[in-house]
Amino acid sequence: MAISPTDPDRDRVPDGGADSALESPADEDDSIDAGSTAPTDSSDENWLAAYTRDHAAHLLVVAAFALYPVVLGVLDRTPLATEASSFLPGLTAMIVVLYMGLFAMSFDFVSGYTGYLSFGHAAFYGTGAYVVVLAANGKVPGVPADTPFMVLLLLAAVLAFVVALAIGAVSFRLSGVYFAMITLGFAQVIYEFVRHWEYVGANPSEGATISRVDGLSIGVPYVDSLNVAVGRLAGDSFENVLGMGVDVSATMTSYYALGVVVLVCYFAMQRILHSPFGAVMVAIRENEERARAIGYDVFWYKMAAFSASGFFAGIAGAVFAAYARGASPDNSFYFLVTADALIMAIIGGIGTLAGPLYGALFHEWLEDILTTENDGIATYLEQLLPQDVLTTEVAGMTLSDFFGTVLTGRAPLYLGIIFVLFVLFVPDGLLGSVRNRVGGPVGKRLPAVLDRYRR
Amino acid sequence: MTIELATGLPLATDLPLVVDALSRLFQPDTLARILVEGLGKAAVYFVLAVGLTLVFGLMGVLNFSHGAMAMLGAYVGGLLMVLAVSDGTGTVARIAFFFVAVVAVFAVLTAFGSTIEYSLIRPIYDRTPMYQILLTFGIALILEEVTRIVVLARGIQPDPPWSAAMATAPALFTDRYDVLGAPIRGLYAFEIVLGVLAVAGVWLFLNRTLYGLYIRAGSEDPEMVEALGIDVRRAFTIVFGLGTGLAGIGGVFLMWDPLWGPSALLAIDVLLYAFVVVIIGGLGSFEGTVAASLLVGITDSFTTWLFSTGIVTFTGLPALTIFGLLVLMLILRPQGLYGVEEVGGH
Repeated sequence: MAISPTDPDRDRVPDGGADSALESPADEDDSIDAGSTAPTDSSDENWLAAYTRDHAAHLLVVAAFALYPVVLGVLDRTPLATEASSFLPGLTAMIVVLYMGLFAMSFDFVSGYTGYLSFGHAAFYGTGAYVVVLAANGKVPGVPADTPFMVLLLLAAVLAFVVALAIGAVSFRLSGVYFAMITLGFAQVIYEFVRHWEYVGANPSEGATISRVDGLSIGVPYVDSLNVAVGRLAGDSFENVLGMGVDVSATMTSYYALGVVVLVCYFAMQRILHSPFGAVMVAIRENEERARAIGYDVFWYKMAAFSASGFFAGIAGAVFAAYARGASPDNSFYFLVTADALIMAIIGGIGTLAGPLYGALFHEWLEDILTTENDGIATYLEQLLPQDVLTTEVAGMTLSDFFGTVLTGRAPLYLGIIFVLFVLFVPDGLLGSVRNRVGGPVGKRLPAVLDRYRR
Repeated sequence: MTIELATGLPLATDLPLVVDALSRLFQPDTLARILVEGLGKAAVYFVLAVGLTLVFGLMGVLNFSHGAMAMLGAYVGGLLMVLAVSDGTGTVARIAFFFVAVVAVFAVLTAFGSTIEYSLIRPIYDRTPMYQILLTFGIALILEEVTRIVVLARGIQPDPPWSAAMATAPALFTDRYDVLGAPIRGLYAFEIVLGVLAVAGVWLFLNRTLYGLYIRAGSEDPEMVEALGIDVRRAFTIVFGLGTGLAGIGGVFLMWDPLWGPSALLAIDVLLYAFVVVIIGGLGSFEGTVAASLLVGITDSFTTWLFSTGIVTFTGLPALTIFGLLVLMLILRPQGLYGVEEVGGH
């Protein structure tokens, strides 16, 4: 890549990409060509400018996520408030995007990059969630109930890592459908166990809630002023931040704090995938026999990839439990939680790390506008349409009832239809298709694409 | 994990209780109960799983919409029964209607499955098998949700089993009968008969018909079958249709079963159990499916009995054991009881 020999700093610039695809050799040639057509008179640029340039896509996405609550707040005061609340995902949905996006990314990390479909990934997510809930209730031996959340987060991730090691050690003797099935089997055994495990709570199939009153505090260790409590309706809220007249609600605090956790995890996963280790993962996906023939001990590479993925899935679960202040077997350990991650990964683009995040965004947006609460499309239509239209009979029910039946809470239906259409017509997913369009990892190609339109 | 085991599975360490239970296990009434219930469950598992085996054996497609098809079968069959049966309908008429429902559901779902294969799955055979799995999963999502909408609009609750359909069972099957001293629900006997019929029917189809030959050959060596000039595409359409039809029959079988009954939740529950049976038996193997349904069915009734005696107070035992059986089988013998190593290269 157009690295100037006189500028050693360029060497250290990670070849960032919002989607971090590791190209096949053909793509590599392509990007070298592209690199040489990009402006080469960059020797006078300092490293920060180069770094920013390489991470332009990341910065844009982070900025979009950071500004979104502010934009929502502004829209709320304009005449478009009803439209905004009906058609845009609310802040709570955006928090779901964050932790489900992280979970879907961790699923994609192993399934999209090594090609081993992990059908029991919810086992790690659930482990993370239950560690937080049980520890916050003081039910984990040796862990007091007032342990800082950052420590619990790590504990949850490490335990998920260990569970993944144990499951992986047995499962990686198999491949293909058999691998998918044995991971599913393990996850279902744990699910059935937790569902009937009376230690969790009085009604274990309902799960458990965090009994302490205050939120769990997340933040930078040893820096007290940066600690904020997160948790739905139980976290910190800040009024008049920095004297700018901006109020940050408890939900918004959770959003930003959890967003930082997800961001750090994303960059960690991205860094692993861009390392030589990540290249071996892709080699395993493309041709496992050849990777073995080159001399890689593929079993341990698969194990490491699987357990690293379990680690991040554990963090996602822990973040979910801290925010939701509780977990149940059905929303953490169940097969359909893995299925959600799979849907997000396919819609966003499997084999692109950031793709699942966009898949999660799409998933939650759909769920939010078709909500059973009072700010979805159904309510909007009922307010918009005149009363006599609403009471028109359609197939034996009024139009208003019809909306209620086919729209309210029907996100899985439309998601299923869109999922099928994606599998049939957009097999590379959202980000994967964009990547094919611009001819390489989006983050890497974005500067060149922007340059084309600059003059 | 050790902590969880210690507190989660409160295995009673009371020795007399275990000895007492063991002595009770070898009583004729206990054995009869475990065996008859186990065979009944095995019959249900077989019918639920055999379609999945046929489809996987020939096509190498793990059909994730199998459970949703069984759910459709349960609802369509239930609808027919509710329409046909009134309070005054006699036992014989009810059983006759049941078989009419079985035939009708099989016809409807075979046509439906063939259409789905022809229109949706056929265009993507040139992709990796994962995309066919994903597609059938998407179909399952849509079917489940459409069913929920229809069921909700018609005033039938989507989640708890549809009681009106369950109530069409003749009194003969809901009563309990004395078998060697054990009170056994009549339905189990009926299920055993149906299961034997199903095993015989599928065996005859596989061994005495042309398409049966294609399926057996296809699950051994798909390339060779294609090279011999058999229209594999058309065989795929027909087999997928038949697999769907069998799932539908499985759904009708569930209609009277107090443990299942028509509900939207079947789409996932049936799928998971069918996977367990098919994998324990060996993907694509008919004999394996028969053996695995027997194994799973009898394990299920044994663990249920174990729980009912109070030796184990862990309520989730049957489900836990069944998935544990799956994991154990994959560890010890990944290709399943009768499976061929690396079936169809998947």
